[in-house]
Amino acid sequence: MTNHWNDIQHADVILCIGSNPAENHPISFKYVEKAMDRGAKLISVDPRYTRTSSKADTYAQLRPGTDIAFMGGLINHVLQNDLIQKDYVVAYTNAAFLVDEKYDFEDGLFTGYDAQNFRYEKTNWKYQMDAEGNPVRDDTLQHPRSVYQLLKHHYARYTPTKVCEITGTSIHDYLEVARTFCATGTPKKAATIMYAMGTTQHTHGTQNVRSYAMLQLLLGNVGIAGGGINALRGESNVQGSTDYAILYHILPGYLKVPTYDNVDLATYNETWSPKTNDPKSANWWSNTPKYMASILKAYWGDAATAQNDFCYEYLPKRSGNYSFIPLMERLQAGGFEGMVCMGTNPAVGGPDASSIRKGLGKLKWLVAADLWETETSIFWKAPGIDPKQVQTEVFLLPAASSVEKEGSISNSGRWAQWRYKAVKPPGDAESDAFIIDQLYKRIKALYEKEKGVYPEPVVNLAWNYGSGHEPDIDLVARECNGRFTRDTVVKGKAFKKGDQVPNFTFLQDDGSTTSGNWLYCGSYTPEGNMMQWRNDADPTGMEMYHEWSWCWPLNRRILYNRASVDINGRPWNPKKPVIAWNAATRKWEGDVPDGGWAPMAEDGTKYPFIMIAEGHGRLFAAGLADGPFPEHYEPMESPTPNLLTRQQCNPAVATPGKISTSDKFPYIGTTYRVSEHWQAGAMTRNLPWLVELVPDMFVEISEELAKWKGFENGDIVSVSTERGVIEARALITSRIKPLRVGGQLMEQVGVPWHFGYAGMAKGDSANDLTTAVGCPNTTIPEYKAFLCNIEKGGKKA
Amino acid sequence: MSTRKDFSRDKSFLIDMTKCTGCRGCQVACKQWNQLEAEQTEFFTGEGYQNPPAMSEYTFTRIKFRDYQKNGQNEFAFYKEMCMHCNEPACASVCPVGAFVKTEEGPVVYKSERCIGCRFCMIACPFNVPKYEWSKAFPLVKKCTGCYSRVKEGFAPACATACPTAITYGPREEMIKEAERRLGQYPDRYIHKVYGKEEAGGTSVIYLTNLPFDELGFKPVTMRALPGYTWDALRLVPGIFLAVGGGLSALSWFTHRRERLKREQAGEMVTESSAPQIEDTDRKEEQ
Amino acid sequence: MSAARIVKEVKGYHAFIKFLIGIVMVGVIAGMVRFIFGLGVTTNLNDTYPWGLWISFDVVTAVPLAAGAFTLGAIVHVFHIKKLEPLVRPAIVTGFLGYSLVCVGLILDLGQPHKGWQVLRPDYWNLHSPMFEVSMCVMAYTTVLFLEFLPPVAEKFGWHVPLRVLRWLEMPLVIAAAAISTLHQSSLGTFFLIAVDKLHNLWYSPLLPLLFWMSAICTGMCIIIIEATASHKYMGQPNEGELLRTLAKILPWALGAYLAVRAYSLIFMGKGPYFDRPGLTFSFMLELGIGFILPFIMFMQKSVRENDRRRNIAALLVIGGLVLNRFNVSMFGMMNEAEVYFPSIIETLVTLGIIAAHILLFVLIAKYFPIFEHHPETVDYTIPDRLHRTGEHKEKKSYKEQPVSQES
Ligand SMILES: Nc1nc2c(c(=O)[nH]1)N[C@H]1C(S)=C(S)[C@@H](COP(=O)(O)OP(=O)(O)OC[C@H]3O[C@@H](n4cnc5c(=O)[nH]c(N)nc54)[C@H](O)[C@@H]3O)O[C@H]1N2
Ligand SMILES: Nc1nc2c(c(=O)[nH]1)N[C@H]1C(S)=C(S)[C@@H](COP(=O)(O)OP(=O)(O)OC[C@H]3O[C@@H](n4cnc5c(=O)[nH]c(N)nc54)[C@H](O)[C@@H]3O)O[C@H]1N2
Ligand code: SF4
Ligand code: SF4
Ligand code: SF4
Ligand code: SF4
Ligand code: SF4
Ligand SMILES: [Mo]
Repeated sequence: MTNHWNDIQHADVILCIGSNPAENHPISFKYVEKAMDRGAKLISVDPRYTRTSSKADTYAQLRPGTDIAFMGGLINHVLQNDLIQKDYVVAYTNAAFLVDEKYDFEDGLFTGYDAQNFRYEKTNWKYQMDAEGNPVRDDTLQHPRSVYQLLKHHYARYTPTKVCEITGTSIHDYLEVARTFCATGTPKKAATIMYAMGTTQHTHGTQNVRSYAMLQLLLGNVGIAGGGINALRGESNVQGSTDYAILYHILPGYLKVPTYDNVDLATYNETWSPKTNDPKSANWWSNTPKYMASILKAYWGDAATAQNDFCYEYLPKRSGNYSFIPLMERLQAGGFEGMVCMGTNPAVGGPDASSIRKGLGKLKWLVAADLWETETSIFWKAPGIDPKQVQTEVFLLPAASSVEKEGSISNSGRWAQWRYKAVKPPGDAESDAFIIDQLYKRIKALYEKEKGVYPEPVVNLAWNYGSGHEPDIDLVARECNGRFTRDTVVKGKAFKKGDQVPNFTFLQDDGSTTSGNWLYCGSYTPEGNMMQWRNDADPTGMEMYHEWSWCWPLNRRILYNRASVDINGRPWNPKKPVIAWNAATRKWEGDVPDGGWAPMAEDGTKYPFIMIAEGHGRLFAAGLADGPFPEHYEPMESPTPNLLTRQQCNPAVATPGKISTSDKFPYIGTTYRVSEHWQAGAMTRNLPWLVELVPDMFVEISEELAKWKGFENGDIVSVSTERGVIEARALITSRIKPLRVGGQLMEQVGVPWHFGYAGMAKGDSANDLTTAVGCPNTTIPEYKAFLCNIEKGGKKA
Repeated sequence: MSTRKDFSRDKSFLIDMTKCTGCRGCQVACKQWNQLEAEQTEFFTGEGYQNPPAMSEYTFTRIKFRDYQKNGQNEFAFYKEMCMHCNEPACASVCPVGAFVKTEEGPVVYKSERCIGCRFCMIACPFNVPKYEWSKAFPLVKKCTGCYSRVKEGFAPACATACPTAITYGPREEMIKEAERRLGQYPDRYIHKVYGKEEAGGTSVIYLTNLPFDELGFKPVTMRALPGYTWDALRLVPGIFLAVGGGLSALSWFTHRRERLKREQAGEMVTESSAPQIEDTDRKEEQ
Repeated sequence: MSAARIVKEVKGYHAFIKFLIGIVMVGVIAGMVRFIFGLGVTTNLNDTYPWGLWISFDVVTAVPLAAGAFTLGAIVHVFHIKKLEPLVRPAIVTGFLGYSLVCVGLILDLGQPHKGWQVLRPDYWNLHSPMFEVSMCVMAYTTVLFLEFLPPVAEKFGWHVPLRVLRWLEMPLVIAAAAISTLHQSSLGTFFLIAVDKLHNLWYSPLLPLLFWMSAICTGMCIIIIEATASHKYMGQPNEGELLRTLAKILPWALGAYLAVRAYSLIFMGKGPYFDRPGLTFSFMLELGIGFILPFIMFMQKSVRENDRRRNIAALLVIGGLVLNRFNVSMFGMMNEAEVYFPSIIETLVTLGIIAAHILLFVLIAKYFPIFEHHPETVDYTIPDRLHRTGEHKEKKSYKEQPVSQES
């Protein structure tokens, strides 16, 4: 989230697209409704009429996988009708930048496409540079090579009729969304976008998010109160887990994982510190060397010295994509000896799950640390698997739940809140920290005893978390923040060895500081553990609660907040100021600003988008795998040809095997959640009170399809794809409606994905249907759009 | 029975169905606080995702789902059913052993040790709230307790605490004021009615909705406090007893006196006429 | 009496009596089943229909069916229509049995029967509850009936002193009976006043208590007519036709008054819609037309009043009308169309058992106690201390020694 949960209440228009917060983030609705009480309009754009839609002023149905068409249409609407917040766009986005002459886009393909390898050569996706090496600008936005004009040209094809033909949205609803949302391009109005998995789980998921962000930039809605582009994060601490690098390509604090060719620290720093010649660009990532040195110092402590590159060589270097889908492919190919599943249940949650279950059987051993016996830990008992044929040795480690241990948890608004242990874990259950600690200590002992090929990274690890039964979580939190390794003076302030670092602006690249996660540097300062703050005072009156928990970065509650003011530092909307420049004190008031530099009108200041090398919000973004502008492509499995270009699917995604085709599988399948169940279901299908509410696997279909197929409500039906067949009860509802796409009616089959064969309430898993194909930028699987068939009767029928 | 007339400070629920997301946190929180068993359900037992089929000995509150089309538009609506905690509860008025009590704080509570299990309360409640432990050999009545155990200690009820959006809890007059404020401020959002203000003589659960009440499944109820209907008749009891008793006494004294006078005039008439009858009886005995 | 004698005695009974005993035993077993397995399993009661056959018949209907006692008591003793005196004792027995069995029915229906007595606890009293009032009345009235029922017992065993006391109590008891009955017969109607939003408009009326009371009186008289003719016909009792004719003369007035109040309440106090549910409309027509209006017209005819058979038919119609009325009010009129209640086997068996028990006990009491032999001419009620007739009974022979057998 650029903003945070409480801030939603300041919006004038709330767009829930690709998310269903009433069901999946119920507490968020407190703020949505507060905004509505203040006159805000709620828009729900979803293939299904959800509990969120039921609260919305406007509901627009769209076909799964067509968000870019929808958003592209809105961008077109804004540009054609000149609804942009011009001052904002010129000052804070790259709209005025001129793009390289060689950049082009034709019939669905951007310049540089390499069809052999499903990738782009991105050399020509760049700005025109002036003599000083700065991007050339045309602040009139008239230059044909300006981002603005290219954008306008790109989306001119997205006319309302075209859009609705693709998305299946009724033109009336679509125009109402356009009118309502695009009216917020004035300084006085704020619109927010709440998005989640309906947006991201596509072969063009990242571009979906981009299209939302671009619209928000054009309307001047980023950085302001009640605005932003807000990802409703999923698992309660998923924000924390990405901040702390649960993904394969990042280190804590979103530092890049070194690639095989980053041979030493200098090369690494050279590669990953973006450069700019513009003195007005803060280019924050240029601090990468400081953060890298500090994290290495945190990892290897005294063993890490300037002489040995702070043990940089101990870090594994990657040479490919180790994300979930390729890992599971390797699993199925017998590429792993063992696997540890800590708090995850891929046998239900992973795409093409029945293949994953088969893959698990190729392991020698599997460790599952979980609160429950999950489908993963009993994969050998799965329907269709003969336990006698499975040789895998499975260890189930009972884990303590979140209320049975202490530590921090970061919500979508980046607030890190400290939680205390409420009860002792039952039986033999232990915290994950204990499990990791034991694993580490035993592996280290083995390395010390048996030496092995490369023991140093393990045996030299700084692992000082007390001598208790489990690691002292307070010491862990202190280490994440970081401390000084020697007496030193930074920015005129003297620090002693062992002092906590006040915040990341004090971190050094010379080994004088440690920090386990630079973004969290500031969370545990000399003043103590900020994550434990519980003061609900709101001196700004803008619901920012700076003393309630702590928020990265630097306790800044709204990111890019220096874009919430005009170039003189006056809030665009003085009624809802995030920050304001006090000319007398020459200080910002309100939220913690994105850097304390003076307003843009003054000299020696910096642009507001400090994390971007060019300092401006990117309407044209060169970094992505699949193009600088989002372009509509059909999902990998789609019942219709691409009605916009001849490029059917995202050109940067290779076609996987086991693809359903519309002749055999005529219906659009989509998976989603319900309030009553949680994820792969272990947490809720074992709780009788929740099982009572949603006891059986079900699928939702339209009244029309039911009539056509002769289904009665509650009938057992089977849904099939090229990957598998599942059985479920048919819920027939007018909340699911067929879509008119390219003049043809298309039916949807809505499938919740919470069921499996373990636990109290059992049922077939939706993921036996889904495809293991992902977005080229993130590899998130395309869970939200596939082709399927539905027939009466169970699987045997 | 309570003899109170002023209910304005009673703790009350303001349930704004336009704000309810149907998340059913309330339903689960209620089960948790009251440690109620889960019901065995299958698929869904009503529109939408509705479960269980009805309030019961195991379910004190339930979200009723409405999933239908109106003027070509989808309606997906939710209505929280629970005890209304009537100002003058019918259940309490009919109970022969005073097992239901309207507390000072607002909740209508049940004293199980008193209950004899006649189920009159179930018949009397206009909202069909009290439920019976049909599973037991010696059943008791079950219904929403208004979380009296919490309210007494100054906490809000479990369901109100769990609810992210729709439930406000506080003194009745303030809840009504707030409801009316919302009606005034957002006239287009609501059906213009504060349900519970007058219904059944006023309740401690107050609803606002955006759909007609009957479409949501609200029960049509009288505006008058129900105990009054019974009391209209019952209050006559002492009078009738005295009137009938006294009247008949007087009448019989009068008729007997007339009889005696008649007999005194008629002399032996009585004994004579009785003779054959006696013989009649004797004959039979001898058979 | 030794066991062998009892067996011998029972063996000698008429087949019908044996049949009744059988049904009663089945009912008793059904009752036991109910206590062992609980209401939920053994009945078709549920949260939609918390009251079923047992309340509708065993209580709400049985009470007015037992109204003969107080009606007749009042007619005979208060209005001094002495002619009818011979019918009093059977009526009292019927009433006493009826009320005792109402108590049995209630106990079966209560979820907490062991706590039923708590109605008496003054600290639990709830004067607002019609159920409380009815319970108190039923208990008081059962006691009164018991006392009223005692004279034949005392006579049989020749207990002089108690008999004297009872005689002396007779008038107060009759008046108490009438007053108490007025209260609870009407309060049964009061039960349903609270069901404003549940009972169908065809029956809901603020005058329900009055209507219940009036119809109970009519029915009480009709029950006496039936009972007297039946005991004449089947138990060799003297034909009381003469007396019944007198009773039948009162009936058109009583029925007429009832119909008038009913019409008034419906037309002037009710609110529609009335005829929105065909089933209920039919039931209403049946109840009112065949159950009340037709017998009303019949009783107006001398030919009906004078003819045993026709009089019986008319009386039966009224009884049927009342039964249907009570079911309409307490069951059909409160049912919703979506879900229908139908009594379970156990419920039905228990109710049949109770009905059978009533008849059985009546027959047996009539067999062993002088309830029909009691004629007013044998006793002077005005002077309770002249007890020669009873004394003679004792001296001559005791019923104990010589059981009367119908078959002889
Ligand atoms: N109760 C509950 N809450 C949860 C979870 C849970 O399992 N249960 N899971 C948590 C987790 S980990 C996550 S990630 C979040 C996810 O939260 P959400 O993203 O809100 O969850 P989903 O239900 O998967 O998807 C949201 C909506 O996207 C719609 N959709 C499908 N395809 C498309 C599309 O192409 N375009 C658009 N615009 N919409 C589409 C679906 O119909 C669905 O209503 O929820 C979190 N919260
Ligand atoms: N078809 C389809 N598939 C999907 C999605 C979809 O929308 N559609 N959504 C995807 C998304 S967004 C997500 S996030 C994934 C989630 O996929 P998973 O993370 O695999 O699913 P969960 O059920 O959340 O698994 C978490 C497990 O952790 C356990 N657990 C809970 N607390 C603790 C703890 O403190 N310690 C330990 N060790 N274990 C704990 C729980 O019991 C549970 O079994 O699924 C993905 N799969
Ligand atoms: S489940 Fe937890 S994290 Fe999710 S909305 Fe509810 S309270 Fe918030
Ligand atoms: S709603 Fe029913 S149970 Fe609740 S207080 Fe009112 S009458 Fe009693
Ligand atoms: S069932 Fe219990 S609480 Fe209800 S009226 Fe009867 S005695 Fe009172
Ligand atoms: S007040 Fe308490 S008992 Fe009543 S519904 Fe709410 S949580 Fe349940
Ligand atoms: S907790 Fe609140 S929002 Fe959720 S279903 Fe209950 S009343 Fe509605
Ligand atoms: Mo997620």
